[in-house]
Formats: sequence, structure tokens, C-alpha cells
Amino acid sequence: MSKEDNLNKSWKKDFPILKQQATNVSRRDFAKFLTLVSGGLMVGSGLVAAKAYLLPKEAVAGEHFVCKKDEVPSGGTRAFVIEGSKIPYILIHLESGEFKAYEQKCTHLSCSVFYKPGTGIIHCPCHEGSFDAKTGDVIAGPPPRALPKLDVFFKDNDIYVKASEEEILS
Amino acid sequence: MSNFRTSQNKANPNKLNIILSTLIFILIMNVTIQIWLLYASLNNALDNNKEILIPAFIASLILFLIGFSWLYFLPSGNRDNK
Repeated sequence: MSKEDNLNKSWKKDFPILKQQATNVSRRDFAKFLTLVSGGLMVGSGLVAAKAYLLPKEAVAGEHFVCKKDEVPSGGTRAFVIEGSKIPYILIHLESGEFKAYEQKCTHLSCSVFYKPGTGIIHCPCHEGSFDAKTGDVIAGPPPRALPKLDVFFKDNDIYVKASEEEILS
Repeated sequence: MSNFRTSQNKANPNKLNIILSTLIFILIMNVTIQIWLLYASLNNALDNNKEILIPAFIASLILFLIGFSWLYFLPSGNRDNK
């Protein structure tokens, strides 16, 4: 027997488990892992519920000036941020003459949405989501919820926004 | 000590295979339902619908407890028989 053969043999005796076998997951371990995942999902559900009850989302407080009416042409939009908050909003001057204000974050994955002039559709370019510009409801695509909105009102020629009464009631 | 399980294992070792497969199948089903519950409660929480959150959490907790107690039936294998 050559020295090399002998070396190989001894080596195999010392490490009887093949590398491939060592990385295999037994079904028993897999079942335990699934239970761990199940526990994680249960904790996640608990956190969602706890967050909603203990730290509820605060509605926009008070009235906020956005801009003057003649600064936004028909079919035009204007992005704005309310003081003390980082949430981007978008003010839309619809072709029908109405003004609408929505959160600019798509409810799918928070991409910023934009108004397509002349169509009445707010579009999200990331995954082709579409919202109705009159109500904020989802028309097409993956977004699961309507866009959060603000109520628009006027003082002379100035445009103001405040928390949507519909959303406060719900 | 011999119990019901060890005598069963001796009588028919292949049953372990069925038990383990069934166990894993039911665990996967539980986890699938829990993923759906978590997705639904997240969407409803973001939409300010709170009434579904607690029932979804309780359902998720029950599914976890079922899965956890289910592990009691996890076969320890036939090592003792060798």
C-alpha cells in the first residue's frame, strides 16, 4: 500500500461524514424550523395589533396653506409638505375645476405617484398602479388601498388643506 | 422504557415516514394561513380598520400553539432499536 493510499484511508476514518451529508437538513429539524417561523409570524401579528392600538397614526392637525389658486393651472399639480411632517403630498387641479390633495406615496411600495393630465388618473410608474384622481381609489395594478387624502378648501384665492373628515370618521 | 410509540416503531418502521410527512404538511399549512393573516392585518392596520387586528392575532396564536403542541408527536427516530 502506497503512503498516499494509507493517508487517504486514515483521513476518511477520522471524518466519516461526507461534506454533502453534513449540510443536509433533517425533516425533524425542518419541522422545528417551521414552528419557529410560525412563532415569528404570531409575534408579528401581535406587534401589528399593538402598534395600531398603542401608537395610532395621528391625523393632520389644523389647517395648512398650500399656495394660491392661480399658481396651479388646470391639469397641473403641486407637491407640498405639511410643516412638522415629512410625508409628501400632491395637490391636483383637475380638468373639471376641482382641487384634490393626496399623499404622494403609492400604497403598494411607497413610490411617488404623479397625475396624468387629461386622464383623471394618478399613476405609479414603479408597478403600473393607477388611482382615480377624484376619489383616490385604486383603479388598476397592485396597490392594496386607496391613497390617503386631505380635504381642500379655499379662503379667497388661497388654497388650504386639513385632515379628511371621511378618514377621521372611519 | 417502552411506550406505545416505540412498540409501533418496532412493528412498522415505515410509519415514521408518514407521521413526519403529515406533521410537516400540517405545519406548512399553518404557516401559510399565518402569512395570510399577517398580510391581512397589516393592510387593515394601514387602512385604519382596527377591528380585525385582535382576532387575527388570536387566530395566529392558536395556529402557533397547535404547531407547537404538534411537535410532541415528532418521532425521535429508530435509533433505540438498533
